[in-house]
Amino acid sequence: MSAVITVQTLTKQYRYARRRTGALGAITGAFAPDFQTIEAVAGVSFEIAAGERVAIIGPNGAGKSTTLKMLSGVLEPSSGQARVFGLVPWRERRALAYRIGVVFGQRSQLWGELPARDSFALLRRIYDQDETAFAARLGRLVEQFGLGELLDQPVSRMSLGQRMRCEITASLLHGPDLLFLDEPTIGLDITAKAAIRDFITEHARGQGQTVVLTSHDTRDIELVCDRVIVINQGRIVVDQPTDQLRRQFLARKRVTLQSAAPRITLDLPGLTVLPSQPHTSVLDVDTRLVRVEQVIAAALAGGGIEDITIEDPPMEEVVREIYLATTGA
Amino acid sequence: MGGVLSTYPLQAAAAIRASLADRTNFLLQMGGMAVNNGFFLALWVLFFAGFRSVGGWGAADMALLLGLIMTIVGISGVAFGGYRDMAGTILSGEIDALLTQPKPVLGRLLSRDSLPSAWGDLVVGLVILVGFGRLSWVQAPLALGALACGLVVYLSAATAFASLAFWARGARSFARDLTDFLILFSSYPGSIFSGASKLVVYTLMPAGFIVLAPVRLLRAPGLGAAGVVVGAAVVYALITLAVFQLGLARYRRGLTPTSG
Repeated sequence: MSAVITVQTLTKQYRYARRRTGALGAITGAFAPDFQTIEAVAGVSFEIAAGERVAIIGPNGAGKSTTLKMLSGVLEPSSGQARVFGLVPWRERRALAYRIGVVFGQRSQLWGELPARDSFALLRRIYDQDETAFAARLGRLVEQFGLGELLDQPVSRMSLGQRMRCEITASLLHGPDLLFLDEPTIGLDITAKAAIRDFITEHARGQGQTVVLTSHDTRDIELVCDRVIVINQGRIVVDQPTDQLRRQFLARKRVTLQSAAPRITLDLPGLTVLPSQPHTSVLDVDTRLVRVEQVIAAALAGGGIEDITIEDPPMEEVVREIYLATTGA
Repeated sequence: MGGVLSTYPLQAAAAIRASLADRTNFLLQMGGMAVNNGFFLALWVLFFAGFRSVGGWGAADMALLLGLIMTIVGISGVAFGGYRDMAGTILSGEIDALLTQPKPVLGRLLSRDSLPSAWGDLVVGLVILVGFGRLSWVQAPLALGALACGLVVYLSAATAFASLAFWARGARSFARDLTDFLILFSSYPGSIFSGASKLVVYTLMPAGFIVLAPVRLLRAPGLGAAGVVVGAAVVYALITLAVFQLGLARYRRGLTPTSG
């Protein structure tokens, strides 16, 4: 398949003035700032083919969002090259805007006090869309995303999950071939996350749309994307199919048990007990060796369990594990 | 340019509808500003009850000046209300989303808000202009032209102040303060400015081109006076566009200290 995105040794450096301590430091800093340079993206190269759904993951400050901003034309790189649909994003930003949809999880493109329908109508004009084609596309998205009852509701009165469904719909109204999603499920509850993941997957499959997604949530990656690029400190650590990554690194769950007894002891394979407070047992479960339901069943059989939480390990840990495994450090 | 003209009225109308969403808040802010302007006017009424003029400016001239600045601030707040916290929008990184869309960013920034209090300025300003500015209906086209040019200079200056946010983190309150000074300087008769202060009001704080030159044009129409008013609008608009574009380029190079 042809490459929709081509990135070659893309680099982004930020320069900032380091703050000095004390009153004297503040005064000298104002006249002779001590500039520091950090490399947010350090020479990344990759290609993304049409129809691929790719996750760019990494801990905070890894360079995910900066990469996405360069590819969508918001930021100019310090060096390197990129082309999206043959266009240089930061030079041909407006031409590219018609071909991409962008959702920044913590920014809104909707008018908060207006019904979503009004924002959608304005976006039609902003993207110079034909009224008939737009109405047909909106109708399909409303049905697919179950937005019927939300259309006439002011966005500011929607839940975060409802607002995000509207944000994604807004980004798709001009029929883009490529969707950039920066942390689309951040702050959402489990049900809302599931709805967003289902919608992205279903829509992208149906339209053959290319999706590039950044996330902190490993479930987003597993359920939505077929390829994962792991970035750490601005560099690509791993670029491989999700299935492969899942087998190697996403096979762990974190089970937290609150109990009347100070400590729960379970004799099962694949369990690692992590340090915790008394009456709280935190278990790292290797799901290749033992299923989570087996762990829960064994814990309940022992009695005295007051609460159970099942989570994915934090992204920072997953990335650290990947980094250690790939570099041999 | 065509892109801005085709979508700006729709975006501004949306911002006005959004400002009307909370009727109570809208009425309180609008009414509050009208009362505030009323008190300010009352001071001038009391002044002119005791004195015939101040430095050659009579009551009708002051009414014309105050009517102009209130109407300009009113139109700016209603139709271009995003200007008021543009620095905050830049610093919070909210323009990222606008940069992924095909229309010019400045138009999107100006139209993203409409200020309810500005209706108070607009209504009171128009009442003063029509009722006390001693303008004849024949002068209406000239008055509209002068008003439009003053509006361009005011918005240009306020936008240039807000654009400082592309360079400095602390520009949010500074830009607001500068704009408030601009309104203040535009609320006094031209005769109080001389020497350095006159230089300031015809350059960095262009109250001279927002209200003083338009008042001169309306009182003594002529090609020279019209040229000054129109020329100032063009020059300030061009300078501001250049400053904003420079700042935006800086933002896109990642040099603006945003919180986003």
